[in-house]
Amino acid sequence: MKFVSVTVLMLCLIAGCADQGKSPDGGGGAVELTYWPAPNPQEIQLADTLVRRWNALHPECLVRMQPIPVSQSTEEVLLAAIAGGTTPDICSNIQPGALYDFVRARGLLPLDQFPGFDSIALERAGAELLQTFRSPDGHIYQLPWKSNPVMMFYNKRLLREAGIAGPPRTFNEYLAAGRRVTKDTTGDGQTDIWMGERDIRPIWWQRLFDFYPFYIAASSGRTLFANGQLALDERAAAEVLAFFRTCYGEGIYPRTFFQAGDPFLLEMKATHFSGPWEVATIRKFAPTMDYGVAPLPVPDDVTGPVYTYGDFKNIAIFSTSQHPEKAWEFVRYLVRAEHDLLLLQLCDQIPVRTDLVTNPLFAGYFRANPVMAEFGRQLQHIRGIDTAPDLKEIFDTLSQIYEASSVYGSTEPQDAVREIVRRTNIIVEWNR
Amino acid sequence: MNGRASGLRDRFRRSNRSAYGLVLPYVIFFLAFVAYPLTFSLLLVFHRWNIVTPMEWIGLKNFTRLLEDPLFYASLLNTLVFLLLHIPLQVVVALGFALLLNSRIPGRGFFRAVYFMPVVVSGVVVTILWQQLYSFDNGLLNGMLRAVGIGPVPWLVDPRIAMPAIALMATWKNVGIYIVLFLAGLQTIPRELYDAASVDGATPARQFLHITLPMLNPTMVVIVVLSTIGGFSLFIEPYVLTGGGPMQSTLSGMLYIYNQGFYFNHMGYAATLGFVYAMIILLIVLLQRRLIGREQTA
Repeated sequence: MKFVSVTVLMLCLIAGCADQGKSPDGGGGAVELTYWPAPNPQEIQLADTLVRRWNALHPECLVRMQPIPVSQSTEEVLLAAIAGGTTPDICSNIQPGALYDFVRARGLLPLDQFPGFDSIALERAGAELLQTFRSPDGHIYQLPWKSNPVMMFYNKRLLREAGIAGPPRTFNEYLAAGRRVTKDTTGDGQTDIWMGERDIRPIWWQRLFDFYPFYIAASSGRTLFANGQLALDERAAAEVLAFFRTCYGEGIYPRTFFQAGDPFLLEMKATHFSGPWEVATIRKFAPTMDYGVAPLPVPDDVTGPVYTYGDFKNIAIFSTSQHPEKAWEFVRYLVRAEHDLLLLQLCDQIPVRTDLVTNPLFAGYFRANPVMAEFGRQLQHIRGIDTAPDLKEIFDTLSQIYEASSVYGSTEPQDAVREIVRRTNIIVEWNR
Repeated sequence: MNGRASGLRDRFRRSNRSAYGLVLPYVIFFLAFVAYPLTFSLLLVFHRWNIVTPMEWIGLKNFTRLLEDPLFYASLLNTLVFLLLHIPLQVVVALGFALLLNSRIPGRGFFRAVYFMPVVVSGVVVTILWQQLYSFDNGLLNGMLRAVGIGPVPWLVDPRIAMPAIALMATWKNVGIYIVLFLAGLQTIPRELYDAASVDGATPARQFLHITLPMLNPTMVVIVVLSTIGGFSLFIEPYVLTGGGPMQSTLSGMLYIYNQGFYFNHMGYAATLGFVYAMIILLIVLLQRRLIGREQTA
């Protein structure tokens, strides 16, 4: 009898402990949601501000902000969390390229099932861009939040000293400028000033800052896949490979990587391809640098607006959420216009909004930050990464072929494109 | 008689029980950490699995992919290139230092400890140190070369130089252990052989060629076998230094298996690569055993 009593008491204690922090919706206690923002200081500050305001207004639904645990990549952490069933309710650092795996693992909730999703999503992304976020099963699992377009930063002083009036607009203009800018200033036989420089190591995401945005620009906005099939614009891909091959072949780009510091911040290179986060870095480490931002150079025959890759980070709700409706309410709160303004002000990152450059709410910020206004304008012409399986390995393959053809010039661009198609199809076929 | 037999059987059973009890911990360890992973990886060879989604049976698709995978062939070739560079360098350097440390030089004990030090330092630490040495713009090696008027060498970004640079580093890291093995071998050679050769007028060079080298043959074989097995597990150095580049010239077999398994989450394909590599290593070891056996018989 005594044994039974002790056992019942223990079970009650365990049940009581297990129930803590999981008050059901109608149970009288406050609902608790967990929100994971990106782990960088600016976004943590933004998330902290927004969560404090939310919690003050909604004592019945408290949000606990916890930065994504630091790892090699957010995607690894989220996949591990899905595998372990420890995902948060909401995360605002979802890279569309990783979404395929998350959806396949049934880790996310389709957001298009929630009331008001269509109008909010259309207001942010527009119909055409929104389609690129649709998963193969027809649902949309992500709400476009911010996108950082990759553009060309240029050092005005270095271009001016080489007798170049403005940023190069085409491949030929870029190469011509490069031949004048690249030089040995100390006379020791070693080049000190370069037209550009890229990390040549075959790391898959490095191609998101050279080959891929240049390919999108050269193909006037094409991505790699269409309807689940590889749909590479082979002419544009070959032109981009040939362009970088000339840059390395003629020595206006170094075939190495520097460890002594960022060559753009050290004013050792005239151009740099990056996103708006670079503005804060320049402000901090090279405040006296005279620089500008321009669209990426394109082949001479490309007309119309210049497209580029937008490094999207979107918001998703995980299927482990006990309170999906409340989580959706919080997501709607996160993407309010005034909070997008806060994203600009605190993080120097670009919210995805169709009215970004026309809405008077943001006008003051862009007037005070004209460089950021360039990114705001570029937002109308961006593309993301396709929602396709094994994108990481496909980009890794692209990286290897780019390295062989462009950096070391060992493969002709046309052959390299054929190799991209062949090897990508092997990966896609294996995954079918 | 029957009673005596059953008593013996009981005693035997009792002693068996104790024996089973004693081996049980190891059996549990073996089942959990050897038999289970091995069986599971064999199962994986026929599946596609990214840890998160359920396993999917794909038959021999992993093997057909492997056959047309240029990176598998590249990684195999790179491993063989590494072995061809590393083993002779390892043997020559280790033997040279062992001969030096075997002679009566001052501070012999100190130098023995110093040469062994890299062996006990973590591989990652050593690799990061060499990354600084090999740095193109501010590395110590290029700084020294610049001082004598030679341009900086792109140690880790030239596909022709990167693997020799890694082989050099791996030799520096591991040479201590092979010095010790050679020293042990040298100390087993009878002094009388050298005395007799001196009396016969043999020069030190001839003594080395005709006494030291033949007498060190068994040690040499051990070192070659150990270096071969070690060479096939080349991972930390290319992982930290080059990531397998430039142009996959330093992509080793182990690094490629790791990439497929833990970078792309292709557990089934990684298991297939591991299985094929294990077969290749097994073949080489069998070949070496056969050669050694023939030598010993001869």
